[in-house]
Amino acid sequence: MPPIARPRDLKPLKEGMKDFSRFVLAAVGVMLAGCATQPGRQVVLTGNLMIDGPMEIAYGPPRDKVLWEYRTAAAAMCQARFDLAKQYLDDGLTRLQGIFGPDANARKARGYFHAEAKKTFIGEPYERSMAYIYRGILYWMDGEPDNARACFRSAEFEDSDTENHEYAGDWVLPDYLDGLATTKLGGDGSDAFKRAQADAKGLTLPPYNPKANVLFFLEFGPGPTKFATGQYQEKLCFYSPPSPVRSARINIEALQVPVAPTDDVGFQATTRGGRVMDHILGNKVVFKNATDIAGDVAILGGAGTLLAGGGRNATMNEVGGGLLAAGIVSKIISSATIPAADTRAWNDLPHYLSFACLALAPGPHVATIEFLDPAGYVLPQLTKSVTFEVPADGKDKVIFISDQSSTPQKS
Amino acid sequence: MDFSKYRIAFPALAVAGLISGCASSGVKNPSGTPVTEMRADERGFVAGTGIESQDLVMVTDKMARSILAIPQIANAQGVPHIVLEPVVNESRFPINKDIFLTRIEGQLSMKAMGKVVFLARSRMAALERERELKRSGQVTASADPNPVEFKGADFFLTGKLQSLTARTGAGTSDYVLYSFELIDARTSEIVWMDQAEIKKQGLEDAAYR
Repeated sequence: MPPIARPRDLKPLKEGMKDFSRFVLAAVGVMLAGCATQPGRQVVLTGNLMIDGPMEIAYGPPRDKVLWEYRTAAAAMCQARFDLAKQYLDDGLTRLQGIFGPDANARKARGYFHAEAKKTFIGEPYERSMAYIYRGILYWMDGEPDNARACFRSAEFEDSDTENHEYAGDWVLPDYLDGLATTKLGGDGSDAFKRAQADAKGLTLPPYNPKANVLFFLEFGPGPTKFATGQYQEKLCFYSPPSPVRSARINIEALQVPVAPTDDVGFQATTRGGRVMDHILGNKVVFKNATDIAGDVAILGGAGTLLAGGGRNATMNEVGGGLLAAGIVSKIISSATIPAADTRAWNDLPHYLSFACLALAPGPHVATIEFLDPAGYVLPQLTKSVTFEVPADGKDKVIFISDQSSTPQKS
Repeated sequence: MDFSKYRIAFPALAVAGLISGCASSGVKNPSGTPVTEMRADERGFVAGTGIESQDLVMVTDKMARSILAIPQIANAQGVPHIVLEPVVNESRFPINKDIFLTRIEGQLSMKAMGKVVFLARSRMAALERERELKRSGQVTASADPNPVEFKGADFFLTGKLQSLTARTGAGTSDYVLYSFELIDARTSEIVWMDQAEIKKQGLEDAAYR
């Protein structure tokens, strides 16, 4: 007569099942807790940055605050709301300057189970440089060319950590303006001019005219965007759409001043090279793949062992069950690993930056800025008009115009 | 099936998985290094950052002490009148430049016990308007408003901020030189000059590099 399993004999199996159930429940609990987010106030986007930006800054995720400050500042510049732009840029740059040392969000972003976008956004180097360039323009507008120069130097500094040093600190306009500010302040700007000229491929920069008292900052074309490629979207890439505008022309009274682009923001975005974070994301991919493969192997091995045991060999059943469970855990860990690159981008940047400076008599003036297509034809729908007063006290008049600017403007 | 054998194995595997989430292999110093204030003559471990309140306090304290010790102030016949001229910023850090002179002025006013007087040249527009109102009789005057009583400067106090920056994969370094000078308004002689220098260095988290 075959031995009959008594309730006492089943006790270890029941206890084991109980333990396993507890473990699975605990593991699921931990994972769900990891995925939990506190319900925040949902910001409904309208598509108008001057509405969405302040709302996102106030109620959106704190990690995106600088992103929205950058975007809103650029939008405010286009609407000649320079005080608002200053406020947002100052806050964003303060965050940028204080990014040294440990950062909880950055640590999470480096972890296997969080996306890179978990980190506090401060932007890629080209975005950081642009924040400084805009702030420099605003300082100059306020009659502080030395603080403007400080910003232009910081803009170059942000671009100095490139993988390929050929492209380190190769913005043209910040160097040119550094030298111009130095010249206007009575110093020698020739070194900065030489650096700017060396980076201005195929473009001859005008020599400094200390008497030039009207500075035009122009920008045009759609700026670079980010996207992710790779098996798990782990590779950060940039796309710079072709610009319908290739140059501009300033018309003031009888003067016609052609303005060629000095800097290509898309070029700056794509010449930075690899990031340290790219290596971390690469590691995440390796980990994700390894745990996935290990999970497959363990599940197949476990299932095979269970089948081979046929429910009759207790040792094989235990080994098979163990392998199966380990495989499932490994698969869960693999699927929880997030190697995706951070594609949050300052999406209202221009494609090209440009500049012109003129010596005009004090008093009121009206300028018409025309934007030209690659063939040199005026794009009339983009033409801007700005009325401004050149101060008699010798201070510079600074005009900022984008192809997205509101028109007419009074500056 | 006796799962009790895996009591230790399962939690260990789970914990290993969770801990591995915090790992970042192959990246040197992924957590970065906090900014550390250092003496200017101290050799740094990497490189630094911008102008902060502690720099302002240190520099302006030093300058105020230094100015009070010079013979032109300490042994002056009468009370020297000083005018503040804007500081020139040649560093890479945009700052509120006036804050340096404001603090030096405050420190000198507190510590000099009347040995120096500052002239409010930045308020000249308001002062002139007030004088004109008094002269025209639109407001009362406690003394005859017609004589020129705005004082001339005996000295100009001004300064300059300059910086050197280095950046490598190991971090960022910023050296800032703060120079201040007192210029005799009559002779254009620089009667006093002093400097302070600060070097800082830091490294951001790998997620930002």
